[in-house]
Amino acid sequence: MDFEVTYTEEQQRFRAEVRAWFEANVPPGITREPASTAESHENYQMRRELGRKLGAKGWLFPTGPKQYGGGGLDVDHAIILEEEADRFDLSLPPFYDSGATMGAPTIAVWGTEEQKETFLKPIYRGDVRVWQLLSEPSAGSDLAGVKMRAIRQGDEYVLNGQKIFIGSANGTDWMWTLAVTNPDGERHQNLSWFMVDANLPGITVQPMELLGSGGGGGEHGHKNTIFFEDVRVPAICLVGGENNGWKVASTHLELEHGGGGHVGRNRLWEGLLSYCQKNYRDGQPLTSHQDVRDLLADIYIRGEVGRLFGLRNFWLTYARQPKSYEGPQASLYHKYAGLWMTTAILEAVGPAALTTDSRWGSDEGFLEGQQRNGIVAVHPGGTADIQKVEMARRIGIGRTIRQAAGKVA
Amino acid sequence: MDLSLNEHQRMLAQSVRSFMERRVPRSKIAVLQRSELGYEPETWKTIAELGWVGLLIPEQYGGGGASLTDAAVVYEEFGRGPLPGPFFSSGVLSALILLEAGTEEQRRYALPAISRGEQIFSVAITEPARSWGPQGIALTAERHGDRFRLNGVKLFVSEAVAATHLIVAVRSGPEVNATSLLLIDKNTKGVSARLLPGFIGWQAEVSFDNVEIPVERLLAARENEGWAALTHAMERALPILCAYQVGSSQAIFEMSVEYSRARVQFGVPIGRFQRVQDHIIRLVNHLDAARWTTWEAIWKLDTGRPAAASVHLAKAVTAEAHIEACNAAHEVHAGIGSSLEYGLVPHTQLSRTLFNYLGDPKWHKRQMTIAMNW
Repeated sequence: MDFEVTYTEEQQRFRAEVRAWFEANVPPGITREPASTAESHENYQMRRELGRKLGAKGWLFPTGPKQYGGGGLDVDHAIILEEEADRFDLSLPPFYDSGATMGAPTIAVWGTEEQKETFLKPIYRGDVRVWQLLSEPSAGSDLAGVKMRAIRQGDEYVLNGQKIFIGSANGTDWMWTLAVTNPDGERHQNLSWFMVDANLPGITVQPMELLGSGGGGGEHGHKNTIFFEDVRVPAICLVGGENNGWKVASTHLELEHGGGGHVGRNRLWEGLLSYCQKNYRDGQPLTSHQDVRDLLADIYIRGEVGRLFGLRNFWLTYARQPKSYEGPQASLYHKYAGLWMTTAILEAVGPAALTTDSRWGSDEGFLEGQQRNGIVAVHPGGTADIQKVEMARRIGIGRTIRQAAGKVA
Repeated sequence: MDLSLNEHQRMLAQSVRSFMERRVPRSKIAVLQRSELGYEPETWKTIAELGWVGLLIPEQYGGGGASLTDAAVVYEEFGRGPLPGPFFSSGVLSALILLEAGTEEQRRYALPAISRGEQIFSVAITEPARSWGPQGIALTAERHGDRFRLNGVKLFVSEAVAATHLIVAVRSGPEVNATSLLLIDKNTKGVSARLLPGFIGWQAEVSFDNVEIPVERLLAARENEGWAALTHAMERALPILCAYQVGSSQAIFEMSVEYSRARVQFGVPIGRFQRVQDHIIRLVNHLDAARWTTWEAIWKLDTGRPAAASVHLAKAVTAEAHIEACNAAHEVHAGIGSSLEYGLVPHTQLSRTLFNYLGDPKWHKRQMTIAMNW
């Protein structure tokens, strides 16, 4: 067994090249938490600009196929890129773009040559940001029950309906969605997968006020309701065949359910430990109180287990090992660990964890953010309960084993 | 990065598994539960001949010279039984302590015999003070000429009834860490081991009543540094114990999934009920937490990386996970799970017995925080 990615001399040279590039190209202050909507927008533009620069080098989607503008790099090089981005507290892409990270592999698997040319190239170049549109007011966990209609008229589909809990702040260029193309069809055989230009007439984006939005207008916590009113979408935007959308979606649902795995730092932990070393209770640093240390030990351990689940899934994905319940397991673990941590941190740190006040709260309110997000994160990308349902099916509890849905490219 | 076992390790796992299925099936383990020794001498002998007792003992002392990874592969398979007996106490913990603290002569005396299974060693640390640290060691070895004299009690000594020899931690000075280790033949006059009755697996009270042993029996390579020697040996031994518990948790996971398919109530397999599914999901989450923390610690040790914090973490996670896994399995199985014949109870008893063994989870978590300099 080997838990570490080891690097050849060539890869180390690549790391040096990447590091030098990041040092020269990452603008100062890019990771500062925006304090207002205007600042959030400015920050987003900064991140998009960096994304385009990365895209030009093929580093925005390092493992994407080269012929469409991806990096064409192997996993080891992709990890180097992610690690170097991580040194700047950035991810790849350096902005909220989960519609692209999930959508691109889906198109790579299901798209026609023309669709790959049309959709993958702008995504890989960083020219577009993409949101995914799945949940509806009456279809959350029961995703196959979506009601949005996409009815064919000539060379177009006409979309009508409403999506909810979508995207981030600062808008998007493209969006993809699941819609009913055969209203009389059987469940799971009536849906199609569409890539939609967000600027088409008839699309309205309405921000939602949510617990995760926070005060700063940050990208991630911000969600929207999106209305479709007679939105006319060219037929080329249907990917993977009419009424085949449920199968197409299973490709990205696997990714969304943690199947892709993750290698990275635990920033919350680093911040929390440093906070507890610098802040005092009864004249002593929090880390010198045994009750706080015991809580910190448990918090650290949950982070470590989560890290190991992510690492295992990362390895399963890229070593092309068969997967069963591991994707939803990692997702479930992160959700519950995050929720549990809200109380553990509140107990360790006290009420200071609840305020963004610059004098009495944590730096930029990062602990206050966890208090909100630990609750909110239990539900997106499939609720904790849905992850359990997935796990049970894949383990084959009470039934014969069903293969894991979708292969991850 | 490669999180799989290599070809050799997969074959090793396979041969241990098929041996276990033939020689120590579930039904045999149910019978062994009621025995005072916890093992069959004949099986013990065969396993020693196969080289699985002395796996970690270097070749120059008659052992297999295996890596910790190889040993963990074997112990994970043992844990599936769970195979009871002094395998870990003698072949892993005692052997590693002797390597750490024994003189060359002492190693040559003990290690080949441990490897062949002719002598069985056990380690006596804990005392009625119930502390997991060195402060709990009060038993003194008074020097009288060329002999030490011992009077006192050690508690929860694993496999002490089966053992032929004991490694005993004694206080050697007033500083908290000042301890020494003595190698004591269990036949020495005044030594007695009494199996503790109850929901506990093969742990004993060991009494020392005016026991006199020659001073040469002091593990002299680490005189007065017994606690440091124990700590170092345990850093390597604990992940093997964890692997054993991972194997046990894996077995009850598989047992529970099978039962969820076979047991029908209300006209359907009980695994169709989400309440039942929840138990198995809880079980597998604990199992995998134990598995990957354990294997990462083993990998760090085998590749010479600093591993103290990882080992403490793995021990704490695994001890808690094993208990939770058993609790979940009992919920899946309901009544039949508590039948002594069925095969779940030996795992459950093991999870309780090992929860505190060589330090409880809270103690190991605290050691972890110290190792990380928080």
